[in-house]
Amino acid sequence: MGVGDAVKNLVIRNLSKTYFDVYAGTQVTAVRDVSLNVPESEFISIVGPSGCGKSTILNMIAGFIPHSSGEILVGGKPVNGPGPDRGVVFQSFALFPWRTVLENVAFGPKMRGVGKVEREKIAHEFLALAKLSEAAGRYPNELSGGMQQRVGVARALANEPDVLLMDEPFASVDAQTRMTLQEELTRIWEAKRPTVIFITHDVAEAVFLANRVVALSKGKVLDEIEVDLPRPRVWDDLHENEQFKSLTARVLQLVRSA
Amino acid sequence: MTKRSFISALWFCAPFAVLIVLWAILIPYFDVNPRLFPHLTAVVQAGIEGIQDGTLVQHIGASLLRVAVGTLLALLVAIPLGVAMGVSPVVSTFLTPLFRFFSVLAGIAWIPIATLWFGYGFGAITFIIFNAVFFIVTYNTLLGVSTIPLHVRNAAASLGAGRWAMLTEVLLPGALPNIVTGIRTGMGFAWRGLIAAEMIATNVGLGYMLFVARDFYKTEVIVLGMIVIGVLWLLLDRLLLAPIERATIERWGMVQRA
Ligand SMILES: Nc1ncnc2c1ncn2[C@@H]1O[C@H](COP(=O)(O)OP(=O)(O)OP(=O)(O)O)[C@@H](O)[C@H]1O
Ligand SMILES: [Mg+2]
Repeated sequence: MGVGDAVKNLVIRNLSKTYFDVYAGTQVTAVRDVSLNVPESEFISIVGPSGCGKSTILNMIAGFIPHSSGEILVGGKPVNGPGPDRGVVFQSFALFPWRTVLENVAFGPKMRGVGKVEREKIAHEFLALAKLSEAAGRYPNELSGGMQQRVGVARALANEPDVLLMDEPFASVDAQTRMTLQEELTRIWEAKRPTVIFITHDVAEAVFLANRVVALSKGKVLDEIEVDLPRPRVWDDLHENEQFKSLTARVLQLVRSA
Repeated sequence: MTKRSFISALWFCAPFAVLIVLWAILIPYFDVNPRLFPHLTAVVQAGIEGIQDGTLVQHIGASLLRVAVGTLLALLVAIPLGVAMGVSPVVSTFLTPLFRFFSVLAGIAWIPIATLWFGYGFGAITFIIFNAVFFIVTYNTLLGVSTIPLHVRNAAASLGAGRWAMLTEVLLPGALPNIVTGIRTGMGFAWRGLIAAEMIATNVGLGYMLFVARDFYKTEVIVLGMIVIGVLWLLLDRLLLAPIERATIERWGMVQRA
């Protein structure tokens, strides 16, 4: 956790994952020899076709599944199971249905032993950041998908993780809402500057959000592309932006060529 | 009480009112032998007498106490056991058929063995109640815990929840709708089992009251007992159990999975 001056970076070295498929009785190598270096406060997108191993990488960083070989270091420390230094935003939101929006967001601080008054103050702050102040007292099932994912983002951020891990968080909302959420995420990132690993199969989304796009195919890193588009980023400006178009085209070509 | 719930309560009572009116008219009209079926007035009379001399209150008290003690003991064992079994997929898969079997069997089938183990009286009857509630609640708890989505548990872990917090913040609330459904069904079985057991294995309680009245052809006491048994259950179910079930399942938007 953000104690003292620990660096909030992520280093992955020669990471591999082999699953044993119980039904087929065969080994499946989902991730091979992946190395990545994500400095503090960088926003990287990992993009690639379905089944290329994106979720597997993210789940290993989160500590939900063990890795077969290689190393994952967060702030210099090896990953060993899930922990509050790595916040996760799930595609399916994964909110606690039995808790109000406010209590969901206050969950991380509560686990850290922060008192009720203080953690609700933190939660209100992050709900305001996610433009959700009105929904504080409601239950997750009373919200739209887009609002639920805002809660998911606020909940992960309220715990002040070193690294924020997002696995296709906007894949299950409609196109308009998705664009709004993407713009909000870039705004929040500029405000808080967390280190982010964002997984998607949507090339435009990957380029729009990130400082750097990592193209993945069949469990291997194909290439990394720097994105030095100006911020703040809004779709109205970028739709017609030549640099955005050529970057997107490059990433798309890369992903499709493999 | 809102106007709407008042009207729905009226509708609920209407058929009973019709039945009572028919009873009041038809039994005297056909001059039915009171040894076969009592007059309404005789039953009311028996009720007043039972309250005045305290016997009715004593029988009701004995029955309710047994239900309360048996249910409470069952819950104390069933919920922790169900949680422990539910967290391990292997254990829960292995034991599920067993608990389904005993959930169906539980009830008066246990009376003979219960009287052999505990003799006639409080112990045997409480054991019947215990069984009726225990197996169903354990099974439902197990089911509730094992159907909590993995990503919800992962979310809690990555927000810093340890073992204890996982239990109190995720597993128990996540399984609660199932647990409440289990308690409601289990107590339904328990109540029926109780009446049967009291006819055989004791000398106080509503079931006993019914059974003894038969020996003296006191049909008015038998019918009074039947009415009390039914009304008590309806009150318990509609005023206590159903509202709790509705509150958890509807408020949280959790679909009943049992
Ligand atoms: N538990 C598992 N057991 C066996 N094989 C698995 C398991 N999980 C994933 N795989 C395999 O590993 C590969 C990568 O899966 P992964 O879920 O990481 O892909 P993904 O890039 O996230 O795909 P998508 O975009 O569809 O989410 C796939 O071939 C998949 O079938
Ligand atoms: Mg995936």
